[in-house]
Amino acid sequence: MPIEAADCRTPFGDARATCDALRAGRRALTLQPVLGEAGGDAVPLATLPGRRLDETAPPAWLSCLDGLAGAVPAAPWGDARHPVFVTSSNFGVGSLYAFSRDQDRRHLEFCTPFALVEGLRRRFGWGGNVAVLSHACVSAHLGLRQASRVLQAGRAERALVFTFDFISPFVAGGFHALKILNPELPAPYAVRPTGSIGLGDGAAFAVLGRNGAGFSLSAQTLHNEMHHFTANRAGGAGFAAALEPVAAAARGRRVWLKGHGTGTLDAGRLEAEAFARQFPGAPLVSWKGALGHTLGSCGLVELALALAAVRGGEAPGTVGSAPPCFVDTVATAPFATRDYDGVVLASNAFGGAHAACLLTHD
Amino acid sequence: MGDPLKSRLKQLIVSTLKLEDVAPEAIADDAPLIGSGLSLDSIDALELVVAVEKEFGVKIASAEESRAALTSVAHLAAYIRLHAPPGRPPG
Amino acid sequence: MIERHLHALQFEDPGLEETAATRERLRALFPRGATRRMTQLGLLLGSVLDPLHPAEEDALVYASSFGESRALHDYLASFPTASPTLFQTSIHPSAIQQVLVARQQPVREFFPFGGRAQLVAHAVEAALLAPSPRTILCGGEERILPPGDSGTASPVGFAFALALGADRAAALGTLRLEESPAPAGELALAEFFAALRDRRPLDQPVAPGMRLVLTWL
Repeated sequence: MPIEAADCRTPFGDARATCDALRAGRRALTLQPVLGEAGGDAVPLATLPGRRLDETAPPAWLSCLDGLAGAVPAAPWGDARHPVFVTSSNFGVGSLYAFSRDQDRRHLEFCTPFALVEGLRRRFGWGGNVAVLSHACVSAHLGLRQASRVLQAGRAERALVFTFDFISPFVAGGFHALKILNPELPAPYAVRPTGSIGLGDGAAFAVLGRNGAGFSLSAQTLHNEMHHFTANRAGGAGFAAALEPVAAAARGRRVWLKGHGTGTLDAGRLEAEAFARQFPGAPLVSWKGALGHTLGSCGLVELALALAAVRGGEAPGTVGSAPPCFVDTVATAPFATRDYDGVVLASNAFGGAHAACLLTHD
Repeated sequence: MGDPLKSRLKQLIVSTLKLEDVAPEAIADDAPLIGSGLSLDSIDALELVVAVEKEFGVKIASAEESRAALTSVAHLAAYIRLHAPPGRPPG
Repeated sequence: MIERHLHALQFEDPGLEETAATRERLRALFPRGATRRMTQLGLLLGSVLDPLHPAEEDALVYASSFGESRALHDYLASFPTASPTLFQTSIHPSAIQQVLVARQQPVREFFPFGGRAQLVAHAVEAALLAPSPRTILCGGEERILPPGDSGTASPVGFAFALALGADRAAALGTLRLEESPAPAGELALAEFFAALRDRRPLDQPVAPGMRLVLTWL
């Protein structure tokens, strides 16, 4: 499936600026109170410049989405032949948290996924053909998968996948309660006594369908373990089920790997080992040590970054990590991409959800 | 004579995790809490950690530390006695 | 035009039933101890999915406008000592995960949709386009009256599940999406549920360019 255009927004800016920052080893994550104005433990968070963790009415991130939507190639988005797929894990739940605290009814138009998306649809001038998909941290991959399927069925000319997740005390408090958002900066795939993730703001879009300018999604897979909400099956069978079809599609190509790599220990080890088995010798990176986990948007934020990396000739390394790592193919420093002709990208989510895709380029 | 802290912890386990058909006194001091006859999992463990932190003022920092503290009721009682803040003796 | 044939249909129509009553009524369907953490939405979906026996090779498409609204509001109320269980449970599509995790049932393709006016349109489109031999299309809402009249939850509970396949033999009906010149259209999840429950036909625009036709045999 040709990728016509893609871009993202992180605390560092667009995909190109973010990639430059990652190559320089910079981190957007800083230690901040987990409950924002209400205080709490200091944990690694990365918000857009000038944005506080606590939601305002209207939300401060709207201007970010305005900028992102403005970068989307022009088309009659939302009409019958130009569907939009909006994906997020949390949508405006930060506004719901704020409403529960201050009872300011101006938050309500952002509180439910359908109200928020309807507001964005009108704000960006999209038609009514806007689908809403939400499956935690594989949400963006699902948007890409369904958009591809609609295009392949001849039901659209082009499709827009638009994704975002902005952190809030609601989300940070939850991950902190799960004891995985801890006061250490994340080090994806690194061997250490305790794991920690970071959380970050992220948004991205991709336009699929026409001239791909040399980039394509050549394979996409999904798998849902449904073994446990927060743990994977021992041995990594779930990771293998998602990666095997992509490995088959990548045969004959030289690929590098962009993993999920949040900084947790158990899942990080299983994922790294599964990648090493399926793609021996391929360098593995994760950028969540720098940007934090951008939750539902991570699959597309990181796809946009991978595109920028290939265009720029150099992939950022796994910022924040140093050997020893779970496998010795973890790339902790930037490396040249000219000898590769594909990237495997993967994301995982609660419930043992897995999504993977193969990005190929000329 | 029973350990009042362990009894209190057993009550907390049953009420926090909504174990409707489990009597607190039926939970053995040294029985594994996670993956045992109680069928508790890691989310139950974390919920228990929140309840223990609130009730006793201790701080359990990470998932790894949670697993160690929640090995059994006896382990948890020992952890609380070791880490309870001054002025909040757990009993 | 894309279509599939209905081979099984299950629904739960508890209306104003409270969660505790739903749990008591449906507890026997789940492994011992599983229902203590389940929400009303999870219980209802478990009830309708159980007779369909979801399998790994099925595609599962799920639709809900409000999702886990009870867990969401209870989680908010748990602050500042945030409950990890309620956080986990509040995240869409927790209801389906509650059911399938209790049964340790993996599924390869799972598409959880949100939204409202075009929710049915896009969920049906995903179900009809799935390449699997069988697709299960399910959905529902749970009943909760949230504080502050915030409009963030459904006042009634319901759930449905239907199995779709390419074979017309022994089908209950047919679900079809046709191209439509209409620039707009909508069908709310509750209306779709009512048509399934009452075995009423449907023939209406449901999204720009999409007309949904539901016929019964």
